[in-house]
Amino acid sequence: MTVQATENVSTSYSQPSDRRGGFYTAKRFGTPLLVIAALGGLLLFLYSRGEPDKIEAFALNWDYMLAKIDEHIRISLFSAIVVALIAIPMGIVISRSKSRIVSAVVLGLANVGQATPAVGVIILLALTFGIGWATAVAALVIYGLLPVLRNTITGIAQIDPNITEAARGMGMRPLQVLFKIELPLAVPVILAGFRTALVFSVGVATIATFINAGGLGEVIVVGLKLTRPAVLLTGAIVVSCIALLLDWLAGLAEDALRPKGV
Amino acid sequence: MGKYDLSLIWPFFLDKLDEIIELSTEHVLVVLISVLLATIFGVSLGLFAWDKPLLRSASIATAGVILTIPSMALLALMIPTFGLGWVPTLIALALYSLLPIVRNTVVGLREVPEAVMESARGMGMSPLRVLLSVQMPIAWPVILTGLRVATQLAIGIASIAAYVAGPGLGVYIFKGLSMLGAKNALNFALTGTVMIIIIALLFDALFILIKRLTTSRGIRG
Repeated sequence: MTVQATENVSTSYSQPSDRRGGFYTAKRFGTPLLVIAALGGLLLFLYSRGEPDKIEAFALNWDYMLAKIDEHIRISLFSAIVVALIAIPMGIVISRSKSRIVSAVVLGLANVGQATPAVGVIILLALTFGIGWATAVAALVIYGLLPVLRNTITGIAQIDPNITEAARGMGMRPLQVLFKIELPLAVPVILAGFRTALVFSVGVATIATFINAGGLGEVIVVGLKLTRPAVLLTGAIVVSCIALLLDWLAGLAEDALRPKGV
Repeated sequence: MGKYDLSLIWPFFLDKLDEIIELSTEHVLVVLISVLLATIFGVSLGLFAWDKPLLRSASIATAGVILTIPSMALLALMIPTFGLGWVPTLIALALYSLLPIVRNTVVGLREVPEAVMESARGMGMSPLRVLLSVQMPIAWPVILTGLRVATQLAIGIASIAAYVAGPGLGVYIFKGLSMLGAKNALNFALTGTVMIIIIALLFDALFILIKRLTTSRGIRG
């Protein structure tokens, strides 16, 4: 495994995979095994302590938990998809423009954006636009835009100019160069950004409970407020497993979508 | 925006200045301590593991798993054992800061060209000497970048810590939320958020300065 250095917050979560050799390596099974172990341990712990008391029973039942898991995955995936739909075309347009001002402004905004705490964004949005699902999605999208945008721009920028020149020399039109050469070559980097956005989404969706957007953050908050450690642990462990699994699935997609030649 | 009067933010700021300074100091302090803890542990781990493939992958993968866990969940996981307040916050932030530090230490040390290492060995340097007098200075800018990213992550995540009664400017953000609808709600949340951004940008500038000052003269660009 050749790891790359972390350059900024956007690249600190996931990096372009550099898988060599077979698809089914030992590494591939690490995450699912960890998730199974964590969930198994949790179930064992919960069942070994006998009947939950009345307050715990409110949260620790399958219907409630499944509903919260559903809410959480729904909001995370939805926002991640919106992010991809906005950020990738935006990144392409920005990387087309020759203007230095545009890229300087984008990078400057990206720096400030990186420094902005997620709770701040979500609560400010809630104060201005009201609480609820739509506001939470807006916050998740704003927060996830940055890594995908940045990676789309760097992914296209890092392509060897000789390659694009060769493509133009072969008579390809600009759009053909973009879709047949540049985008496929940038796919690993763009997808790494998308994975980061996905992990961000799951994390920020947990905070979204503060503005009544549901999700597993609610389970954590219930456990915290009513001092029921079992409830709190359940929420925390389940949401962590979701983050790990989604990241793992995105990693699979990343390897599957990568052009064969790269 | 009609509900809130933003023109009041300046008087608000002056009125609460003492408290804002106190919370900002707490925020900076909690970040500094946790990044320091993570640096001591992370750089040592990196120095020890960089040439051991299994340990190297295992430590980076573990740190990666920790970073993937939502911050709210990690903070919650700390509570049954460590209670509320500073301790769980420090531990959670230190854990989050590990990945960029370990990864960049390992990568930095590994990126030193083999020829350089061989000349150092040829001069009769012991492996430890090569590591400390040759590899470390060359890897330093990369390690420092890892520290910078870790600090940025910690500054952002520290704001959530207020929810578990932790220190820092997050207190203002949550206060804003709890006052939803009241006149000062936006002032509180906005002050907290903007101060955190300012702290993050100041730290960024500080790291650029440190990088200039502490990079070995031979490899300065």
